[in-house]
Amino acid sequence: MPRITVDKLEPGMKLARPVMRGSMVLLGEGTELNDNWIQKIKSMEIESVYIDGPSQMSVPKDEMMAQLEDRFKNVADEPYMDVIKKLVRKHIEDLYE
Amino acid sequence: MNSMDVKDLRRKVENIGALPTIPGVLKHISSIIEKPDISLNEISDFISSDPALTTKILKMINSAVYGFPGRISSVSHATVLLGLNVIKGLLIGVSVFELMQQAMQGLWEHSFDCAITSKLIAQRKKLKEPEEVYAAGLLHDIGKVILILEFPEEYEKSIHDANQQCISIFESEKNRFVENHANVGSWLAEKWRFPNNLIETIKYHHAPHRSKYAPMETAIVHLSDILVRARGFGFAGDSFVPAIEPAAFELLDLTENDIKEILREMDDSLEIIEELSL
Repeated sequence: MPRITVDKLEPGMKLARPVMRGSMVLLGEGTELNDNWIQKIKSMEIESVYIDGPSQMSVPKDEMMAQLEDRFKNVADEPYMDVIKKLVRKHIEDLYE
Repeated sequence: MNSMDVKDLRRKVENIGALPTIPGVLKHISSIIEKPDISLNEISDFISSDPALTTKILKMINSAVYGFPGRISSVSHATVLLGLNVIKGLLIGVSVFELMQQAMQGLWEHSFDCAITSKLIAQRKKLKEPEEVYAAGLLHDIGKVILILEFPEEYEKSIHDANQQCISIFESEKNRFVENHANVGSWLAEKWRFPNNLIETIKYHHAPHRSKYAPMETAIVHLSDILVRARGFGFAGDSFVPAIEPAAFELLDLTENDIKEILREMDDSLEIIEELSL
């Protein structure tokens, strides 16, 4: 689910998360964008929105996970670091889905 | 530099105006913000008189990550809204941007990401002044900039040692310098008359239990440093995640779900930062 800046929006893209202003939903999840909506979003001082589709991660997942292991290698047995590592690992894995 | 004693180094750092490696603009800003009786108006006038500074400050505050997206159009509005200490912190932050980039590839990104993450945690902990914690995150490694500028070769060796020996830069600094970046940074913060809580977050971000005035803020910057490194953003001198101080983690009292959401909010905010080149 990539997040893209509004200047790169094109008609036909679908919102993966709603466009919000404060707690108000302006455009719902799943909305297919047309020129009209894109203009609206651009006029609302919104910098970027989530659209459907695979995230474009620049580093392959295996490499990313190996780097993560490497970063944590000094602190594997320190208190609470297992929890932090587990959560960061899960977070990064989710980015590839 | 083992021959140099601490007092001598401190005198040099505090006399930042005389350091040949520090650019004129930072010296000038330093001389403005260290004034004991500087008022909001004076600082606002000073920023407004410099178009480049004005642009940078407004750009930072108006970014979605800062929480006032596109809503602040003047420096005077910004200063009133944020207060003297936050503006002073931001002013130093944007002024050292180029310096940080020159000093160490990735240090600006690390600092900026820590600022954002600190603010996210501060908001989650419902602290009254999340913007102050943002400024603390932004400036926590300012001591590294000074050490690199003043002792480039020695610092280069510290970075090399850290990565060769698989230790943190904080550890490897100890072997080559009489002082670490956290203390050096705190001298500057004192010189700039930052409030005690900001001085302490800089001074104790590696040892938050020692903070007397701002244990929560210091614990926040300590955890932000760890999360930003854990996530693999930026570079601050070594490639390792430091251990969290258990007492700080317990003080923060975050659930696994809190941390999960903080990580998600970090990614959301940081993707925007890539676009926000100052």
